[in-house]
Amino acid sequence: MVDFFALGEQILVMAFLVTLGYAIGMFFNGFARKITARIHNRVGPPIYQGYIDVFKLFGKKTNISHGWIFDLAALFSIAGITLVFLFLPVAGFSMLSTDGDLFLILYLLAIPALGFALGAGASGNPNAAVGIMRALMTMLAYELPLVMVIVAMMVHYNTTSLAGIVAAQSNMHWAIFLPVFLIGAIVADMALQGMLMEKPFDIPIAPHEIATGPMVEFGGKHLGALMLYKMMGIVVETTLFVDLFLGGGVILSVAQYGWLAYVVNFLVWFGLITFVFFLALLINAVFPRFRIEQALKFYWKYDALVALLILIWIFVEVST
Amino acid sequence: MKPIEKEYELFIGPNHPGATGNMSYHIWVEGDKVKKAETRVGYLHRGFEKLMEKRIWMQNVPLVCRICVPEPDVNEASYSMAVEDLMGWEIPERAKYIRTIILEMARISAHLLTVGGIAASLGIYTAAQWGVGDRDYLLDVFEQITGARVYHIYIWPGGVRWDVPKNTKELLTKVLDYLEKRMPLYEDLIIKNKVFIRRAADVGVIPKDKAIEWGVTGPNLRAAGYQLDFRKLEPYAAYDKIDFEVPYYPKLGEYEVLSDGSDIYTRTAIRMLEMQQSINIIRQALKDMPEGDVLLKHPQWFAWKVPAGYSYVRVESSKGEFGYFVVSDGGKKPVRVHVRGPSYTHGINVMETIAKGLNVADFAPTAISLDVCPPDIER
Repeated sequence: MVDFFALGEQILVMAFLVTLGYAIGMFFNGFARKITARIHNRVGPPIYQGYIDVFKLFGKKTNISHGWIFDLAALFSIAGITLVFLFLPVAGFSMLSTDGDLFLILYLLAIPALGFALGAGASGNPNAAVGIMRALMTMLAYELPLVMVIVAMMVHYNTTSLAGIVAAQSNMHWAIFLPVFLIGAIVADMALQGMLMEKPFDIPIAPHEIATGPMVEFGGKHLGALMLYKMMGIVVETTLFVDLFLGGGVILSVAQYGWLAYVVNFLVWFGLITFVFFLALLINAVFPRFRIEQALKFYWKYDALVALLILIWIFVEVST
Repeated sequence: MKPIEKEYELFIGPNHPGATGNMSYHIWVEGDKVKKAETRVGYLHRGFEKLMEKRIWMQNVPLVCRICVPEPDVNEASYSMAVEDLMGWEIPERAKYIRTIILEMARISAHLLTVGGIAASLGIYTAAQWGVGDRDYLLDVFEQITGARVYHIYIWPGGVRWDVPKNTKELLTKVLDYLEKRMPLYEDLIIKNKVFIRRAADVGVIPKDKAIEWGVTGPNLRAAGYQLDFRKLEPYAAYDKIDFEVPYYPKLGEYEVLSDGSDIYTRTAIRMLEMQQSINIIRQALKDMPEGDVLLKHPQWFAWKVPAGYSYVRVESSKGEFGYFVVSDGGKKPVRVHVRGPSYTHGINVMETIAKGLNVADFAPTAISLDVCPPDIER
C-alpha cells in the first residue's frame, strides 16, 4: 500500500529544498555582483539585489512576445534545472537519487540549455542566434573533459550513482584528497567555469561582441524566468562539483548525530558551494574571454588530455 | 536556382556595449567572418564648425572642448594656438608649462579610458572599472586647477585662464605616485595576460606600408612602426624643453614584441607606455615651471578683432593628429574653422577597411582599440 504520509512528507521536503535552492541562487547573484564590484573598486549593489531583480522582473507587464515557444522556453529551462537539482544529493540528502543517476544528470543538464536555445532561437535576433551557436559549442566543448573525469570517478568508486559517490566519500574521505582526483577537480573546475558561463568562457553572452547574445530579446517576466534559471544553475553546477569532489559537504553521519547532522552538513555544503563559486568569480574577474575556437582548443586539447590521462590512470589502478 | 542567403546583418551600436559612443557600425557577417562594415554616424551632429562662424573669438573656447569628451583640452589648445598664431602672440613661459601639464593629464585620463575600454571589450571589466576609477583622481586635480571636471575651458588664447593653485604640485605628485603604483597592476591584468595576448595579437592589423596612406596618426601609427609625434616634430607648449621618449613599435620597453604592424596588442602597449611617459613629462614640467604671468593682456573681450589670414595648428592628442584650420577676415568672428579630428580616418576609412575578414568576436575590440571619438567625426 502506498504510504501517503511518507509521500506527502517527501514532497514537502523536496518543495522546501527547491525553494531553498532558488533562494540561495538569488543570493549568489547578489553575492557575485558584490564580490565583482569590490574587485572593481566599486561599492556595488546590496547583497540582496538578486531578490529585488527577480521580484521586479516578475512584476513587470510583458508587452513583447515572439510566439509560444518563446513564452514557454524560459519555463522549460526552469523545469529542467529544477529536475537536475532534485536528482542531486544536497548535503548528503538525496531526493530522487537512484542507481545510474549520474548518466541521467549529465543528460538532464543539457535540457535547460536547450530550452534557453529554443527561446532565443524563437526571438529571431541574429545576436541571439550567434549566442546560441556559441552556447551549444561551449557545452559540447566542456562536456568532453567533464564526462571523462566523471567516468573515471564511476570506475574508481564502482558506482554510477552520485549518491553512491557521496556516500563513498563519507568520513572525510573526499575525492579531492586523492592526487588523481585533485587533478580531476582542477579539470572539472575548468569545465565548471564554462558551465557557469564565467570568463574566460562567457563566450555565449559576450556583451561587447553580441550584446549579451541569447538574452538580448528577453525582457520582463521572460527575463525574470531566465534569471531564475541562471541562478539555480549556479547552485546546481556548484553542488555537482561539491558532490563529486568534496564529499557533498557531508561531515557528520546522520545515523550518529540525527537532525544535528542535517543542519551541520547543510551549512558545510552551503559554505563549500559558496567557496567554489567564489573561486569561479575570482577567475572571472581577471581573465578576458576566449574566442570560441580558442575555448574549444582549450577544452579538447588541454583539459580533455589531462582528463584522458586521469581515466587511463584509474583504469590501470583498477585493473591491477 | 537562387543561392541560399548565408549572410546576416549585425548592428554594433548606437546602443551596444561594443560601440565607442554615439555611432554605429553596420556589419554583414557570413558564419563568423565580417564581410563588410559600414560606419554610420549622425547621432551626434551639432554642427560645431558652423556654430563657430556665428560666435565671437572668445565664445568659441567653451564650444570647441565639446568636440572630444574624453580629452577636451586638445581642442582648446589647438584653437587657442591657431588664434595666437593669427594674432602674432607669444604666450608667457609659465602658461606653456601649465598647458603641457594639462594636456598630459588629459592624455593620461583619455588613455585610461581607452585601455580600459579595450580590456573591457575583451572581457576584463576589472581593468575598465579601475581605469574609470583612477581617472577620477585626475579629474579631482582638474577640478582643483580649472574648476571643472570634464570640460575645463582653461586653455585660452593668450595663455591659461588663471594660475594653478599653490598646492597643485603636492596634489598632482600624490596622484602621479598613485598612478605609477597602479601601472604594474594594469600590466598584469592586460598587457601581460596570456589570454589577452591570445585575443589581441595579430588582430585588426593596420599594415605598416598602408598606415600613412590611410591617414593613420597618433598611437595607432606609432604602433605600426613610425616614430611620428607632433610633440617632437612641431613642438608646442613646453615640449621642446622637456626630455621624453616617444614609444613606438618595436620599442615596447619590457613588453613582448609580438606581431608585425599595428594590432590590438601593440596599440594597447603603446598607450600603456605613453601613460608612463606622460607621468614623466608632468613631473618634469612641475619641476621646471618658471614663475610669472599666465595670461597675456587681452584686447577688450567682446570687441576683439583677429587680423585677417589663416592658420593651421595641430597638436598630438591621445587619439592622433588634432588640427584646427582657422580663417579670419579681420572681424570679430572667424570666417571658417575646420577641425581635423583623428577619429574621422580611424573610425571610417581604416575601420571599414580592416574590418573585412575579421572574426565577429574581434570586431568590437578592434573598433575600440582604434580609439574613435564620435563627436570629432561629426563636427
